[in-house]
This record gives sequence, structure tokens and C-alpha cells, in this order.
Amino acid sequence: MEKAPAAPHPEYDLLRPIEDPGKSFYYIVAVLLVIILYTGYVYIRQVYYGLGVTGMAQPVTWGFYIINFVFFIGISHAGTLISAILRLSKAEWRRPITRMAEVITAIVLAIGGLHPIIDLGRPDRMTHLFYNGRLQSPLLWDIVSITAYFTASTVYLYIPMIPDIAILRDRGVKPRWLYEFLSWGWQGTEQQHKVLDRAMNILMVVVIPIAVSVHTIISYIFAMTVQPGWHSTIFGPYFVVGAIFSGIAAILVLMIVFRKVFHLERYLKLIHFNYLSVLLLIMSLLWFYFTFSEYLTGFYGHEPNEMRVFWYKFSGDFAPYFWTMVACNFLLPLILLSNRRTRTIPGILVASISVIIGMWLERLIIVVPSLANPRLPYPTGIYIPSHTEWVLFLGGVSVFILGYMLFARFFPVISIWEIQEGRQESAKAVTERITSYMPDPQPPLAKG
Amino acid sequence: MNKKLIDRMQILSISLIWMLFIGIAVWILNLIKESLRLHDSPDASLGISLVAIPVFFTLSSVLTYVFIGLRKGRKKDMEP
Amino acid sequence: MKWGMVIDLQKCTGCGECVAACKLENNVAIVESKESEMGRTMLWMDMLTMYEGEYPRLRVRQFPRPCMHCDHPPCTKVCPVRATYKNEEGIVAQIYPQCIGCRYCMAACPYTVKSFNWYKPEWAPGIRETVNPDVSVRQVGVVEKCTFCVHRLQKAKEQAKSEGRNLREGDFQTACAESCPAGAIVFGDLENTSHRVNSLSHSPRATRLLEDLGTEPKVIYLKEVD
Repeated sequence: MEKAPAAPHPEYDLLRPIEDPGKSFYYIVAVLLVIILYTGYVYIRQVYYGLGVTGMAQPVTWGFYIINFVFFIGISHAGTLISAILRLSKAEWRRPITRMAEVITAIVLAIGGLHPIIDLGRPDRMTHLFYNGRLQSPLLWDIVSITAYFTASTVYLYIPMIPDIAILRDRGVKPRWLYEFLSWGWQGTEQQHKVLDRAMNILMVVVIPIAVSVHTIISYIFAMTVQPGWHSTIFGPYFVVGAIFSGIAAILVLMIVFRKVFHLERYLKLIHFNYLSVLLLIMSLLWFYFTFSEYLTGFYGHEPNEMRVFWYKFSGDFAPYFWTMVACNFLLPLILLSNRRTRTIPGILVASISVIIGMWLERLIIVVPSLANPRLPYPTGIYIPSHTEWVLFLGGVSVFILGYMLFARFFPVISIWEIQEGRQESAKAVTERITSYMPDPQPPLAKG
Repeated sequence: MNKKLIDRMQILSISLIWMLFIGIAVWILNLIKESLRLHDSPDASLGISLVAIPVFFTLSSVLTYVFIGLRKGRKKDMEP
Repeated sequence: MKWGMVIDLQKCTGCGECVAACKLENNVAIVESKESEMGRTMLWMDMLTMYEGEYPRLRVRQFPRPCMHCDHPPCTKVCPVRATYKNEEGIVAQIYPQCIGCRYCMAACPYTVKSFNWYKPEWAPGIRETVNPDVSVRQVGVVEKCTFCVHRLQKAKEQAKSEGRNLREGDFQTACAESCPAGAIVFGDLENTSHRVNSLSHSPRATRLLEDLGTEPKVIYLKEVD
């Protein structure tokens, strides 16, 4: 592997993972490929024998696959929040974070979007969804909105990448043809910058309602039925808040990992983690508010079927998961993040991992208890996930890690041109903006 | 790889993206037609699906705008 | 024409004949005991047990539960491929070759009447001879449920057409109604005043399950007279 011949670049730390990846990259990719191959084998077994190899049964006919579907798509909201909303609000601290967030969205949407397919009893009949799809079904609304979000976020990831791809092309990084192809003739002229800016401005506005609609529509899968614990109007906003919550946690974990592995301490500074973790804390409080509203309303109404599901979660078979979820999503982040002394990088890492676990548990608690407690007098359902479901879960996570590693191998995870733009123009732009907030100078008083 | 080949691949990729998005729009229109025939969907879902189609066209238009804009903005000494 | 069923709980003894008859008539697969313990038993007609009160004033009620064939079915609303739909005669039907096995209808049904083929259905050698040739055998990965023995309806219609007459009451009986030794299950056209179900459905003892959900079930139960 020959070393990069190009001249030293001021942001060389960001280019090193591409130009000089190192051996450990290949070892980790090999391990991930083995896991993914095994996952493929397990899935083929499931297609051959039928869904009986899972732990699902009547009445709990939905399990890990649907839980992970909601979970992965929830994490995809990382990209939109950071990228679009922070860009829209002109928050300068977003610059090192936007690309990482957008990549999470693209990869995790692809994985999440595949999960309903692995949940199908007849995946060979998938084309029925395209030829005979029924628009009355929330599942179809889901397909449309996830397709829209996936394409929008891929375009929104790609367009700001163009100047960086041009940097790699100009430095002669191999494979040259790839960067030549993707850079679309970028040269950094003023006209090209104008075109890029205008496109990004349109996209960042368009992407936000699509993202909100995606998780709202996923919540409609549950809310549009009449099952106790599901048929609630709060589900739309609740899911969106939960998605943004888990998305921020995911991006924090990724930032900490990349900072360590790629030595990006100069770019991802404590202040970036500070701001994001305050956002995480705010989302934790919001999440608690929605959860509290949901359960208080159910409890106060005291409708018998709702109460069965309620007690199942609070003190029944699901109590350990429920209270762990509350601790992971609310107590731990609150304790760790509201105190400046514990809002350090290790503290933030613990809080973020705790939120990711807690949000996965929340999806579990939404899907299973309502199914396990049918209205008619059946015995309470039991769901024990099987080996197949655990392997496919692990496989999904491995595909995410592999996808991200491949991206980081060929493209910079921090936007080089935006950092450079920030160095040159941000201070001036922000000073101008803040000056414009101040009251105008008083007109000279008329004499006499 | 020479510049002409890469040029052609770029134009091909934009055309494929347009074809994909037009395909998606045709599919959604098909779904709407089927819903109207069977008349069992709430009108809201038809309305929302109709909104989805302009979203895809916005995306492909933005991509095309960037594609053409970047070519036009090149310095004059590059081949067209 | 609106096919419906009246089940008289005063006459029902909970013997389970309807459950067995339905399974035999419709080629409903028999699952292994391990699967059955998990909750994968396939019963189109199920016998449910309700316990009321506490010892010594404990009351055990049993009632047969077929598919309710709701007039406002929550299951058809959510099917993404129209594998389940309500036909003009009020029967909520399943199209087995269309079903993709997403199990959304199973999650949406408040009565939990649907069954799923978790594995490929198999019959032990002796049972295979008793398979009903009039009913299609379902494949793995497909949802199924009570169809009000629609294959018998088709046969009766063809018979009536060949004889140049309308369908009479009694031409078409579901397997459960036919097999009940107490005559507790009565099946017929709810809109036809000459059919017994019509008059029975207006009885003061008549009630439906989970009526307040607005599903408008077409299986009517006649409450027990204590």
C-alpha cells in the first residue's frame, strides 16, 4: 500500500483513514463478514422452514423483527436533527458532526427498511406489495414514506459530500475513477458554490417534514389498530420524540468511537459533546413527559383491557423491562448529564449507551405487552426470542458497523470543506449576525 | 479511466435516478388508482400519497440542478 | 344476503364437537405438542373459557368462538395486499396465494381469531386420508381463519343454479352448526326473514362480543338464562 504522495493538507487527520487505513481495518471487516454470512445462512433457514424457527406464536405474532424495525428507523432521525435543523438554525458547532449523522441515517434506514421483509412469512411474494398494494394499510404508507426518506437523506448526504470528494480526487487517492465519477466536475468556483448552497438550502427544508412523517407513520402501524395500549393519539409525536432521542444517543456514541479511533480530538472537542449531551438531556425530559402522559391517561381512565396491559408492564411479567427502560432513558441520563462534573466524555458515553438500550426496551414494551394480553379470555401470551431472532439482530448491527466502516474507508467522516469554510468565514458571519440583533444606533436628535 | 467514459457514466447515473423516481411515481399512481377502484381506503391516505410524488420530483430536480450547475460553473479551460 | 351465526349459550354444553368438526372439515393443520404449548395451535373454531367470581361462587362459562365476520372488520383495513377482504355476502374471506404473511391482520384482530402457518402443515399418514378435497390446503407462511365454510356455500349455490332455484335455508350449513349435538349453533342469512338466525338475532337474550369496538360482528350469542 503506497503512501499518499500529495502535499500535506491542513486537515490531514481527516484524510488519514482514507489514505492510510492500517491493518486493523481489514481484520475487523473480516470478522464482520463472517458474522454477516452466518446471519445470511440463518435467514435462509428461516425462509426454508418457515417463521416457526422464531419465538413468535399466537397471540404474540410480532417480535424482534418489528421491534428492530422501529428501533433502527428511530435511530435514523440522528441525521435530520443534527444536519437539517442545525444547518437551518445556522448553529456553527454542527460542522464536524453533520456528515457522521447523515451517514447513520442512510445506513440505518436501509437496514430498518429490510426488517419488515425478514418478518414476512412469504418474502417470495414481496412483489404483491408493488402490484397489489392497498393504500388503506399503514404498512403501505410506511413503504412510501421510508422510500421518500431514504432517497431524500441519501441525496442530502451526497450533495454536501461533493467538495470533499473533489479534494480526494485532486490528491490522487485511489480508486481515482470513483472520486472522478462522484465529484461531478467540482472545482470550487464561486458559481459552483452558489449552486451547492442553493441545493442544500432546499434540501434541508424538504428533509425535515419527511423525517417527521416517517416515524409518525411507523407509529400509525400500532395506533391505527384498536388494541389496548396501542390505540393512542399520542403515538405519533411520542415516536418522533423517541426517535430523535435514540438518534442523538447513537450519534454521540459514534462521535466518541471515531474520536478515539481516528484521533480526532482536535475536531470533536468537549464543547461539541457538551452541546449534544444537553440536547440529549432535553430529549430525555421530553421522552419522560410523553411516557408519563401516556400511562397516566390510561391509568386514570381505568378501562379494563388497558389496565391489564398497564399492570403487565408495571408489576407483571414485563416489569423488569419496564423499570429498566425508565432507569436507562430517564434516571441515568438525568443524573449523568445535568451535572457538569459528570458531563465528561466517559459520562456521556455511558449515558448514550444507556439511552440506546432503554429505547430498544421501549420498542419491546410497545410491541409485546399489547399482543400478549388479548381482549378475549385467552392465556397471557409469552414471547421468548429464538436463536434465529438473536442472530438476525446481531447481523443487523454488524451490517451497520460494516457499512459505516466502508464509508469511513473511502470518504471523510467529517466534512473537510465545511470545516475550512468555518475557519475562514464563520467568525465574521456570526459577528455580523449578532451585531444585527443589537438595537440600531439612535438617530441624532433634532436640535432646536 | 478516461474523462469521456466517466462523463457518460455520470449522465447515465442521472438518467437512471430519473427513471427510478418516475417508476416510484407511477407505482404510487397505480396504488391510488387501485384504491379508487376498490373504494376502501380513507381519502386521507390517497391525499398523502399524492403529496409524496412531488417530493420525489423535488429530489431529482435538485440533483439535476446540481449536476448541470456544477458543469456550467466549471472554469473555461476544461473540456465541456 | 348477509351470512351470520347465532350461538345459544343456554344450549351449549362446551363439548367441543364444533371445534373438532371445523378442524376436520377445513383441513386445519395439526401441530406438534411442543409448538402447541408455545401457542401455535391452529383452531378456526376455538372453545374459550371464562371464569367469573371466586370460590365458592366460581362460575365457569365456555363459549365457542369462530371468526366474527365483522361488518366493519379491523383486519381487512390493515392488510397491505388485500389478502383478506369482505365480500358482498358479508363473509370476511382470505386469499391464500395473495397473503405475504406480514401478520398485521393477526395483530389487529381484537378477537384473536386468525391462525398462522408457522411451519409447512403436515398430516400424519392415517389422517391424510380424511383430508377434505373441497378445501384448499394452505402453505407455510400464510394466515388463515374461519370462512363460514364458504366452500359449502359455493357447492350449494352451484346446486341451486343447476336446479334453477334460489338458495334455501338448510342448503348450506357450516360444519360446526351441522355437528353441534345440542343444536346450539344456528347458521343462515341474517337478512332473510324466513331464516331462523334472523328471528333469533332479535331475541332479548342476544348479545355480541366486544360490541363497543364498532366492529359489528355477525356472530350473535344468546346469553344463558340463569
